[in-house]
Amino acid sequence: MSTLNIGGSQIDTSWFLLLSAVLFILGTTGVLVRRNPLVILISIELMMNAANLALIGYGAALGTREGQIVVFFVIAIAAAEASVGLAIFVSLFRHTETIDVNEIHILKW
Amino acid sequence: MAIAVFFVAAAMAVLGGIGVISFHQSIRSVLSLVVVMLALSVEFLLLSAQFVFAVQIIVYAGAVMVLFLFVIALLGPARELGRGRLRFQAWLSGLFVLVLLGLMWAMLQGVQYRQPDSKADMSLFGTVQAIGVGLFTTYLYPFELTSILLLVAAIGAIYLSRKRIDDL
Repeated sequence: MSTLNIGGSQIDTSWFLLLSAVLFILGTTGVLVRRNPLVILISIELMMNAANLALIGYGAALGTREGQIVVFFVIAIAAAEASVGLAIFVSLFRHTETIDVNEIHILKW
Repeated sequence: MAIAVFFVAAAMAVLGGIGVISFHQSIRSVLSLVVVMLALSVEFLLLSAQFVFAVQIIVYAGAVMVLFLFVIALLGPARELGRGRLRFQAWLSGLFVLVLLGLMWAMLQGVQYRQPDSKADMSLFGTVQAIGVGLFTTYLYPFELTSILLLVAAIGAIYLSRKRIDDL
């Protein structure tokens, strides 16, 4: 196992990975259980944050900067995804006057 | 000291994550996600990623979450309606999530870590200088593509959220 030296104390890298796994699981649960599309989008953001933590943890364990650069791109793509997703929800809400994903089935034929 | 900071921030992040999926008003979910992001930025600082720490607070917890808050303010306090049509949704997703957590745990047990490159200059690790040099030399092409992606997303968001959708 790899340990990180942070301010003189040793922390195992797998603690960061375990925290990342728990947050990713919570995000997955939110996507599966909730039916408010806004909350589903928020849960996806939570999963992205968990992935960012894993990337930076591995980057710090390996001593490379690539993990942080990938996190930079992930944050930019999350911003794009949030803006387009929220625009879709706003126009859907104008169109159907509801915000439950069970009621949004105009893509079904 | 660092270990205590790690565990306090980790507990805040997990509690915030539970709040994200369990609050019934979506504005509380968004504020819980802001708590998660601030706790994670502390973890990034522990991993000596200063630049990502600043970006996480300014761009993610600042700009993106304000976008969510604006949309919630626009749509009003919509609640979820009663129970869903899928009867076993909660049970099935609980089973799926447990299987996923078990798989992740099993994978974490078998990870073989490469020893860090001892010649690497750790004094620059995570600074704006190190990230900027990487972004503008090796990763220049994805960086420019990201700017085009953001432009396309902005145009798409304006187009999608116009007044009427019927005359597309």
